[in-house]
Amino acid sequence: MAFQRTTKKETYIPTSSMGDIAFLLLVFFMVTVVFTEETGLVVKLPRAEAGEEGIRELISNIYINDAGKISIDDMIVRPEDVAAVMSQKVASNPFLIVAFKTDKYTPYGIVSDVMEGLKEANAVKVFFNTDMELPGVAF
Amino acid sequence: MGILAKRKRKRGMGEIPMSSTSDVAFLLLIFFIVMPMKQDEVGISLLLPAKKTEQTTVRVRQSNVATIRVHRDHHLTLDGVTIALSAIRDAIRERWEANEQTVVILETHPDADYGWMIACLDEVKLSGARKFTLKTTKI
Repeated sequence: MAFQRTTKKETYIPTSSMGDIAFLLLVFFMVTVVFTEETGLVVKLPRAEAGEEGIRELISNIYINDAGKISIDDMIVRPEDVAAVMSQKVASNPFLIVAFKTDKYTPYGIVSDVMEGLKEANAVKVFFNTDMELPGVAF
Repeated sequence: MGILAKRKRKRGMGEIPMSSTSDVAFLLLIFFIVMPMKQDEVGISLLLPAKKTEQTTVRVRQSNVATIRVHRDHHLTLDGVTIALSAIRDAIRERWEANEQTVVILETHPDADYGWMIACLDEVKLSGARKFTLKTTKI
C-alpha cells in the first residue's frame, strides 16, 4: 500500500505591516526627542565613578571654562549676575536642576561664587556633570 | 499617399515608487533613537543648603564631623591628616559605619582645581556616606 504524500505548507512571517510600525515608532521618537540648542563653552569635564543620570527636561546648564568664563543660555554672565538670571528660571520652573558643566582645571573659587548665586536664587538642586571614569585613569 | 491613422497613445498612470518608504522610515527611526543617546547627562547630584538663616542653620557636634580639605597645591587632608585620594573612600566608610551621624564636609581652596573637588566628592559618594556638604576655604 502506497503512503500518501502530505503537502507541507510554507510558513512565513508577514512583513507587510513593518513599514507602518516603523512610521509609528518614528513619529514617537520625533515627538519625544529633545535637541540641545545651546552651544555653551568648550570644557573638559572631570571623570567620576559615582555618576548618575540626570533628568534632561529639568536641567539648565551653566558652563564654566578653565579661564573662568561663565555661560548661561549662551550668554556670558558675571558671577554676581548669576542670582538674577537663575531666579527668573526658578520662577518659571520650581523643579529646576542646575547642571555645572565645568572644566576640571577651573579654579574652585569661581564655582563657589556661582553656587552662592544659586543659593540666593533658591536654585538648590545642582548636578555636577562628569565623564564616566575609565579604570586606571586619574580624574 | 496613404492616410496615416492617428494612433492613440496609451497613457500610463504616473506612480511614485513606494517600495523604499519603509527603508527611509527605518533610517530616520535609527537617527532619532541614536541622537538623544549621545547627549546623556551623567553627573553627581547635590542639594545645596538654603540661604543661611537661623532656621536653616543646623548645629553638629565636632565629633560627628569629618573634614576633607583640598589645599591650594591639591594636597588632601582628612581631619588635618594627609590622605591619598584613593584612601578617602575606605576612611569615610569606616567613619560612617562607626557613627551614622557623621557629616562629611568637603572644604576646597578657591585656587584648587574644580576637578579635585569632584574627585573627592566622587569618593565620598562611593563610600556610602549620606550626609555631606561643600565649603570653600576662606582666604
